[in-house]
Amino acid sequence: MPTLTIDGREITVEPGTRIIEAADRLGIDIPRFCYHPGLPVAGNCRMCLVDTNKSPKPVAACWDPCQDGHVVTTNSPRVLEARRAVLEYILLHHPVDCPICDQAGECDLQDLYFAHDHRPSRHFFTKNHKAKQRALGPQIVYDAERCINCTRCIRVCDEIAKAPQLVQVQRGERTYIDVFPGTQLDHPYSMCTADVCPVGALTTRDFRFKCRAWLTHGIDTVCGECSRGCAIRADVYRNEVQRLVPRHDPEVNGYWACDAGRLAYHRFEAGRLEAARVAGAPAPYAQAVREAAEALPGAATGGVAVVLTPWMTCEDAAAVVAMVRSAAPGAVFAVGGAAAGQADSVLVKADKNPNHAGLRRVLEAAGVVLVPVDEVVARAPSLAALVVLGTEHAQADALAAALRQAPLSIAVAALDGPLAGAARIAFPGLSPYETDGTWVNEAGLSRRVRQALVPPAEARGYGTWASDLADRMGRPLAGGDAAAGKGA
Amino acid sequence: MVKVKVVERPPADLVVQSWVPELWKGMKVTGRHFFRNVLTGKGIVTSQYPEARRPYPPRYRGKHRLMRREDGSVRCVACFMCSTACPADCIRIVAGERGDENEKYPVVFEVDFIKCVFCGMCEEACPCDAIRLDSGVHRVPAYTRADELSGKEDLLSLGTLSVSRQGGEFK
Repeated sequence: MPTLTIDGREITVEPGTRIIEAADRLGIDIPRFCYHPGLPVAGNCRMCLVDTNKSPKPVAACWDPCQDGHVVTTNSPRVLEARRAVLEYILLHHPVDCPICDQAGECDLQDLYFAHDHRPSRHFFTKNHKAKQRALGPQIVYDAERCINCTRCIRVCDEIAKAPQLVQVQRGERTYIDVFPGTQLDHPYSMCTADVCPVGALTTRDFRFKCRAWLTHGIDTVCGECSRGCAIRADVYRNEVQRLVPRHDPEVNGYWACDAGRLAYHRFEAGRLEAARVAGAPAPYAQAVREAAEALPGAATGGVAVVLTPWMTCEDAAAVVAMVRSAAPGAVFAVGGAAAGQADSVLVKADKNPNHAGLRRVLEAAGVVLVPVDEVVARAPSLAALVVLGTEHAQADALAAALRQAPLSIAVAALDGPLAGAARIAFPGLSPYETDGTWVNEAGLSRRVRQALVPPAEARGYGTWASDLADRMGRPLAGGDAAAGKGA
Repeated sequence: MVKVKVVERPPADLVVQSWVPELWKGMKVTGRHFFRNVLTGKGIVTSQYPEARRPYPPRYRGKHRLMRREDGSVRCVACFMCSTACPADCIRIVAGERGDENEKYPVVFEVDFIKCVFCGMCEEACPCDAIRLDSGVHRVPAYTRADELSGKEDLLSLGTLSVSRQGGEFK
């Protein structure tokens, strides 16, 4: 276990730890471009040069392993001058088009220039011109002039996505990144290349020119597109999600997220059910609650079926189960959800619902015995009431038909569609970006979903809806359940 | 203690109390101004708005305008600096791809004049001399909120050619 000193502070690390990792642990900032904690070390940008007592010249902190008795200095005049020189070299042919560059505001080159160089260029020749706005794939646009050839993107493709699609072409100052001839950058993690890009060379088509980075505020939440439950940050501006970017969660997704999950927010941008509907006509939320609360207890003797969704949070599920049971003790429950899809060996899971595990736990704790959705559909004509929560059901059409057959049919739906159209009483629900609560992923790890957007005025979460209904029926949810429901 | 100086009222003597000489004095002043204004027109400070309008001072901040390049296209590169600097949050920009080396341009550039305070921060923040408030055109109030929005075409119609170079030459 080597013990070394960085800027006068001692640290003991495992053998093989790089100096930059040890410095990160101490909270000492060493500037870097090519080093990324989730990627193998390349050591090509030379930005992380530090002085050590074991070498006559500054060494790259991302490459040199810690040795016993190492004395590292990260801020000596020689190191600072080396950084300036490296930055000047990197900026030689950089177009400095920050006003039209999407990375401006979150650009490592911009930040480090202001922190370490901050002097005008001495380069008086014509700058090299390279390819601009080159589409490398369906999601990624490449600007070769801005590129500093740190090769992070190449390493993401090689090591994370296991799809070696990018390559460095040419040499020296003519170097640029490209795909192999006749191919394109189209693996399911291609947008991660834009995340790791320290400059504005790689931009995603999704976020390109949409909003400036400094205008957004990030909400830490969870991706719902599969049961992996990747940690993501929703960047919001003017109550619209502008982009989703992966967050670091070592137990779940590392630093990465798939393209499908990051583009999923578009689904909730249009086609929302904005207001409640009673018998096909728009109605105030309060009136819909009143109608449902009056009809539901009456239907209890004739058989009530509730189709839950594995997109609801654990808190919402507990509140809904408590409400339904107090209104109709004999109600049967089923869990719908999106159909299983393709899995891969990196992150994507086959189960395309975020909270199957959490829902299972809540229902087990409540002692609910589930019936299959098909059975609910088959029994629909004999039911007195059918409640369908959510819209992301694989059997949505069958459920819509079942809703039409049941005498009392209630749907809670964020999106307008066959289910909201078929139900006698339809309540506007929340999208996952308007929800607060807990999801449990396939590995059994519970992660917090946070509200990023202000929902439409009439829309309510499942928990709040259940609580409102219970209040109206004169059977308020008991302490814990009610609190859980109100929170959503 | 504050020192209080008591000023005695001027004594109301017989001349004042008979009011006619005092009235005459006042009418003399009024009459002097009346005849000077009517006969010579000198000394009238009222401007006959809206028939006659006073010229605005040269640095008056009027309606925004968007400047043009040599080829007539909008200079704006949709960098959002103006809308970031705007204290009233009155500028809405939707950026689009130009497809040439200038790369970015505003598809939508909207100034909400009901919010705008004409502070000129947008002009100051603009890195490419695209937005200016030197049109000298007074903002005309409208009856609806929607009419208060001024779009790209409206702002460009006031715009003229600007040949300034971004950043200038480095010496």
